[in-house]
Amino acid sequence: MNRFTRRDALRGAALGAAALGLSGCGMNRFNPSEAEAERPISAKVDGDLYYFNYSEYMDPGLIKGFEKRYGVRVIESNFDSMQGMLAKLNAGNRYDVIFPTAEWVDKLHKGNRLRRIDHSQLRNYQQVTSFTDYFNDPWYDPESAHTVPYAVYTTGICWRADKLGDKLTGSWRDLWNEEAKGKIYVLDDFQEALGMANLLNGFDLNTTDEAELEKTKQTLIGQKPLLRGYSADTITTMSSGNAWIEHMWNGDVVNVRNQVDSPENYRYETCNEGIPVGSDTFAIPTNARHPGTAMLFIDWLLDPEHAAMNIEYCGYPMPNDGGYEAFAGLAKDEPSINVTVEQLREGDQFRSLPRDDLTLWNETWTAVKAA
Amino acid sequence: MSVAEAPPAQATRALGRRRARREFDSPRFLWLFLGLFYLWLFAPILVVALFSFNAQNSLQVFSGFSLRWYDAFFSDPGLRSSLVASLEISLVATLVGTVLGTTLALGLVRARSRIAPTANVLMLIPLVTPEIVAGVSALLLFTQVGLQLSLTTIVLAQITFSISYVTVVVRARLTSLNREVEQAAMDLGATRLQTLRLVTLPALWPAIIAAGLLVFALTFDDFVLSFFTTGVSPQPLPVRIYSAIRFGIKPTINAVGTFMLVISMLLVALALVLPWLMGRRGSSIATVMGEETGGRR
Amino acid sequence: MREGRYWSIFLIPGGIWLALFFAVPLGITIAISFGITDDLGNPVYAWNPENYSRVFDPVFLPVLIRSVGYALVATAVCLVIGYPVAYTVARHGGRFRHLLILAVVLPFFVNYLVRTYAWVTLLADDGLINGLLGTMGITESGVAWLNTPFAVVGGLAYGYMAFMILPVYAALDRMDPSLIEAGKDLYGSPAATFFNVTLPTTFQGVLAGCVLVFLPAVGDFVSAQLLGGPGTYMVGNLIQQQFHDAQNWPFGAALTVVMMAFLLIWMVFYLRSAARAADEGVA
Repeated sequence: MNRFTRRDALRGAALGAAALGLSGCGMNRFNPSEAEAERPISAKVDGDLYYFNYSEYMDPGLIKGFEKRYGVRVIESNFDSMQGMLAKLNAGNRYDVIFPTAEWVDKLHKGNRLRRIDHSQLRNYQQVTSFTDYFNDPWYDPESAHTVPYAVYTTGICWRADKLGDKLTGSWRDLWNEEAKGKIYVLDDFQEALGMANLLNGFDLNTTDEAELEKTKQTLIGQKPLLRGYSADTITTMSSGNAWIEHMWNGDVVNVRNQVDSPENYRYETCNEGIPVGSDTFAIPTNARHPGTAMLFIDWLLDPEHAAMNIEYCGYPMPNDGGYEAFAGLAKDEPSINVTVEQLREGDQFRSLPRDDLTLWNETWTAVKAA
Repeated sequence: MSVAEAPPAQATRALGRRRARREFDSPRFLWLFLGLFYLWLFAPILVVALFSFNAQNSLQVFSGFSLRWYDAFFSDPGLRSSLVASLEISLVATLVGTVLGTTLALGLVRARSRIAPTANVLMLIPLVTPEIVAGVSALLLFTQVGLQLSLTTIVLAQITFSISYVTVVVRARLTSLNREVEQAAMDLGATRLQTLRLVTLPALWPAIIAAGLLVFALTFDDFVLSFFTTGVSPQPLPVRIYSAIRFGIKPTINAVGTFMLVISMLLVALALVLPWLMGRRGSSIATVMGEETGGRR
Repeated sequence: MREGRYWSIFLIPGGIWLALFFAVPLGITIAISFGITDDLGNPVYAWNPENYSRVFDPVFLPVLIRSVGYALVATAVCLVIGYPVAYTVARHGGRFRHLLILAVVLPFFVNYLVRTYAWVTLLADDGLINGLLGTMGITESGVAWLNTPFAVVGGLAYGYMAFMILPVYAALDRMDPSLIEAGKDLYGSPAATFFNVTLPTTFQGVLAGCVLVFLPAVGDFVSAQLLGGPGTYMVGNLIQQQFHDAQNWPFGAALTVVMMAFLLIWMVFYLRSAARAADEGVA
């Protein structure tokens, strides 16, 4: 009765062919026009807030406070990477506020995926402008027309001073430290990992030259025997003792030092071949249902008291007056953790790559991971 | 170990315990093995539960009992709505999946039709499809058809992959049912539908419940399928956990995990009690495992 | 005849659902596997069979082989550990065997991610297990359990253990105990009885368990991601990376199709075996 015969295989194939036929139903693509993106938003409550961010990246107390203050609900979703965020955006999900990093803003606003933000409607915006004029016209978003800066960070190396001594060489070579063999982690992020090797090899952080990327690939593959793993769970690996040296973001170092018994043993350095500086931003997608509420939310976070609270929680510097002071306090024991305005201006930033180059980067990274 | 070999004084003893002690397969070693196995099996569960009560924000060092993480869990509107979303999804998926799976089982076992073998294969493939394949193809279906991702899409995907489990479980029971009772009912004038409702389904009931519970547990815990098909409305709990896990989790997640465990345990307890309440002998598990009520043992 | 047709109607709801929500998506996946990607990461229909030749690129071959290898070892581990467990519960559990089996299944109600992550905590260099080993004086500085193939296979075996135990238990439970008695009389030694009587009788259950563990294990990515190191990349991770990070859905789809084809071969083999057994009245 349940015998699987050749006839069933044929039937299965017929079903499959029918399925293939049905599937020729066209692609679902979201292609907003510039006019749609440039529509002005007025900052007022127009519904609940659909919030999309990394997890643990914002003080829940602030979110609750916002809900109370404006009588709305905040529905939170999390992504774990920029690509994950984009995948959900592409799938048609409609969020009100998202948190893209700089180079993704560049890509998104060129595709008209972000709404124009009128800074005059944000009461607290002067907190940003009085802190620095860098964000008045950043490379990724001319005139900051579509974003508001959220956090800035550097990528460097965190190490255990009690295991490896007080000072390392200050170069990305430290991630090849023989003494720490088997206790080294590199960030599980294709941009950060390839970028780091690019800098080490003296190339541009964002190089798309095939020969250079090939060399970078070999560099990383050569590192694998020394590595414990690739991880974005840097806080746990560092604080659990699994890692003695880790490729890490400065904000995570703050979190590690907060959790361990002897924070002075966890040191951070930025490297002389080049410091990747990143900034995360607030942005409102073009297909947001409640952009007004989103504006109010951004304003809420920019308030100096709230910024300070947020920094205490997530450990990352926010580039506005209130936030910066609070962070300087956190970083006073380990000044290398701090991010200065000069670093913002001069540091290396990841750029968004056109499709073919992005494919090349992805393929390089896939080859590294699979080797 | 026949009765004749046993010392005469114990010849009258039941075959049970005496035999067990003299079994060649040294039960003491087996029990030790079983004990170690349970230790291995439950070690992480205990760790999860323990650290959910940790007074300190650490998964390495336990410093004292506190309910702060449960407090954080229940007072976090995001996690709460995720919990509600997970429950809703599982409930709907269980109900629909159980109905579809049961009807399919009935059809597969009893139909004399040429499409039955194909349907059988179609039913079996999801069981061995790796979740990532399932998630990806579901996502592709929804995006191509232009369906907005939401709780509905998650439910649709979950139902699809629950049907097979229900069918397999119910079918096992169905094949061991005694057709004569149904035959008798029909001889007495019951229509097929009546027979189904009054004879067959009640006999299948423990298997259906067991299947339903299995589906509930699977969908409540499912991460991969939900990950690919979730929309903006509250992400189900496992998806929230995954996003958190990439960057390291706080003990709140342990509280969530422990809570999910307790809920599942309650449901299973319910499953064991329900047949009793409905006046049946034998537990659901026994019947699902193929033992007929009042059968071999 | 009429009765047979009556029951055929029951095939319709479930059948249509599966056809619509399972078969069609698979068809779409196959269609996409020939596509390309646009600037913002959306997949686009095209005719690009290079995706498939890329699957067989020598760079990826180790990943595919490794996945099958890990899954095989995990299946073996599940069998070696699971069979005695099922045996103990079925043959010696007595009144409590239902509770004992329930206890086996219970941990699987805790979220898979949370469970696996708990192992990360337990096996950490400064974690509980190393702490215990240190107190017992077995090792000084602890063992690096994590980020090794050992940890990944352990994670796979742990994650799928119930799928092995339940079918084996069902088969053992259904088995007539007098067969073992007869076997003991016939063969004398416990080992001989086991291999000549018990194992063959429960073979279908063992086979079912192996299939239920092996097939999903090949495509698993959580274990390798949380417990693995740089050298434990599995095909599941590769696929997830294509859909997630690399935004190369067509290539990911091609990998998926190839993996499914591979697994289907094993499933067909299993189905034929089960059908034959059913015909012979063994299972």
